[in-house]
Amino acid sequence: MDTLEKLTILVNSAKYDVSCASSGVSRRNSGGLGNAASFGICHSWAADGRCISLLKVLMSNDCVLDCRYCGNRRTNSTPRASFSAKELADLTIQFYRRNYIEGLFLSSAVERSPDHTMEKMLETLKMLRHDYLFHGYIHLKAIPGADPRLLEQAGFLADRMSVNIEQPTEQSLRLLAPQKTMQSLLKPMKLLSDGIASRGGIFRDTDHKKSFYAGPIKAAAHENIALLKAPGPASAQQPTQGANLSYGTTSASAVGHQRGEGDSFPVQRASGKPRFLPGGQSTQMIIGASQDNDLSILHATDTLYRTFKLKRVYFSAYVPVNTDSLLPALSAAPPLKREHRLYQSDWLLRFYHFQINEIVDDAHPNLETDIDPKMAWAFRHPEFFPVEINKASYEDLLRVPGIGLQSAERIVRQRRLAAISVETLTKIGVVLKRARHFITCKGRYAGDNKNIDMQAIRAKIAPAEPVQLTLFS
Amino acid sequence: MDYLYDGSFDGLLTAIYHDYYSGRAGGIYPQDSPYQGSLFQEGSHLIETQSSLADRVYQAIEIKLSDAALPAIYHTYLSNIPEKETLILHYLRFSFSVGPRADSYHTHPAIQPVQKAARRVSFEKQRLLGLLRFIEIKQEPQPLLYARLTPDHNILPLLAAHFADRLQEENFIIHDCRRRFAVIHPARSPWRLQLLDNQVTRWLERAENAITDDPLTGNPQEVWYQNLWSRYFDSVAIESRRNARLQNHFIPYRYRCNLVEMIKLEQKTI
Repeated sequence: MDTLEKLTILVNSAKYDVSCASSGVSRRNSGGLGNAASFGICHSWAADGRCISLLKVLMSNDCVLDCRYCGNRRTNSTPRASFSAKELADLTIQFYRRNYIEGLFLSSAVERSPDHTMEKMLETLKMLRHDYLFHGYIHLKAIPGADPRLLEQAGFLADRMSVNIEQPTEQSLRLLAPQKTMQSLLKPMKLLSDGIASRGGIFRDTDHKKSFYAGPIKAAAHENIALLKAPGPASAQQPTQGANLSYGTTSASAVGHQRGEGDSFPVQRASGKPRFLPGGQSTQMIIGASQDNDLSILHATDTLYRTFKLKRVYFSAYVPVNTDSLLPALSAAPPLKREHRLYQSDWLLRFYHFQINEIVDDAHPNLETDIDPKMAWAFRHPEFFPVEINKASYEDLLRVPGIGLQSAERIVRQRRLAAISVETLTKIGVVLKRARHFITCKGRYAGDNKNIDMQAIRAKIAPAEPVQLTLFS
Repeated sequence: MDYLYDGSFDGLLTAIYHDYYSGRAGGIYPQDSPYQGSLFQEGSHLIETQSSLADRVYQAIEIKLSDAALPAIYHTYLSNIPEKETLILHYLRFSFSVGPRADSYHTHPAIQPVQKAARRVSFEKQRLLGLLRFIEIKQEPQPLLYARLTPDHNILPLLAAHFADRLQEENFIIHDCRRRFAVIHPARSPWRLQLLDNQVTRWLERAENAITDDPLTGNPQEVWYQNLWSRYFDSVAIESRRNARLQNHFIPYRYRCNLVEMIKLEQKTI
């Protein structure tokens, strides 16, 4: 099988992985090939409009697992292929030289065993970093169940690593990926996040390995399973608080314990010493394969951000590749709208000072698809509007539909100089299409009518689908 | 009176200097452009570029204005916006009268056009950091990487440092076909910006065509990697998420003529 065929097979198996970020790491070229730009660079956009930044391939798609949602499941009769380390390293270098890509995104099916797979991936990374002196960006999937020593080695070679959590709750994971358990996925995540927090990798020294690995981590992983169960009515009351307390303490004590004890602990990076995963850690969840609602998805997301300090939790609208009684039919369209709304909610949680229960709660466990979550919040809270542009706090400005981080910042800066009118807003680049319905400038309402009227706004922004009347009723 | 300058950044700063110390300019224009004098002003004055004066203006901008000022005027200088020099003139006049906080006046008629122009230029630069493709031309002892660009704005000086760091060990040329300028980077040496004469341009054209046409001087390895990349590009798209509008939004048609994966795509559909 030649490289062209292998590439086709292994890209087709890898393309459902969402992450393509190459941002967050700034590194100059210290003799060799490549560097990394902290702002990230997109090199192309595929026919589905998704950006291509990294060469996203699998090391192998020859899998021992049998996850129902996955095209590479053992019981499928798809063609199988594996790259050799040399083959993949050459491909990466040649693509990179021609400025096709920003680096490598390497994932893999579990070929034979997690350790075997991880070793093969590691071999590729070593070849790239040591033999080809490659300084570009590398994102590596950690294979759950692989030896922590392999994870650590990989962490010093890659910029970012990720473990896919796949499903938001343990129940759906057990249903759809019977050979995976939540614990087996959270364990490597915990190892990596501790390694990043300590800045010196997973292990301090060889003697430390056993005690460190057997102690706090096991307990911590157990706690996480409890957290990632679908929240019942009781736990949903204060989901974020509960999550924060029970895990935050464990993780803090683990780090503190290390710092207090060691003398050679590398709290700060010695000059020239490689950093452990400077780009941090991310994960991914499949949306729409299981019956989980948006509440449990966002709840799990929030827990992951808090406990593992992840850079990103990605959502992947499930594209049916297998026929299975437990999954949506092959003809079902991927829930793209839902995925989009989840990302919007994710942004609201991370950058817009929203709390989960302001976006979804037990009464409304799912996001509305026809309007975005911020708009939905606005319609549920008419008492909050209209917001006076010249007086509202930065946080309140962020709650106005149509005003984003950049607009809010510009407004705050601009109004120090002079009072802001509607014309000013246009000039400083605030898009008023939606925002004008929710604001006043110098006391004057900027929307259509004299006063704010939520129903009229809703009718204008998200008109109800026209319904065909029947003749005989 | 209008000032004419030689088109260099130093020349522009020299003109700014004279505007500040020896008399107000109506506007600043490049000398080789089809300049049309105003009906109500007495003619134009050709400014002689003096780098010592330009340095003084440069330092004054650095010290007395905000950090955003220097990038803003440099990016605007590189743009293709008509009357950009006059915009920069008004921007600097206002900024020197107000001080570092001038850049907060996002809506001021002297500030806004420059900030807008600078944003456009840096956006295109960011876009072309990714949408630039090198092809490998065989050459002894080390191959040459050659990229053709047709950018709206004169962004080569902004791209050069990035690629010079990234591809330290490579010979490369980034060629702005519209302005006939090129960044030339010999391996392990500093880069330079140079006007390409017809002879060099023709040589590059021939070398590029030879990759595919000429069996003797051709570079089968280059063709092989172009095919691999095109295949990767086609395969990585998820069919059920196909969204041409989104793709067009990110890769405008005017950039596609220089993209390996897009050229192949168009041939296939014909």
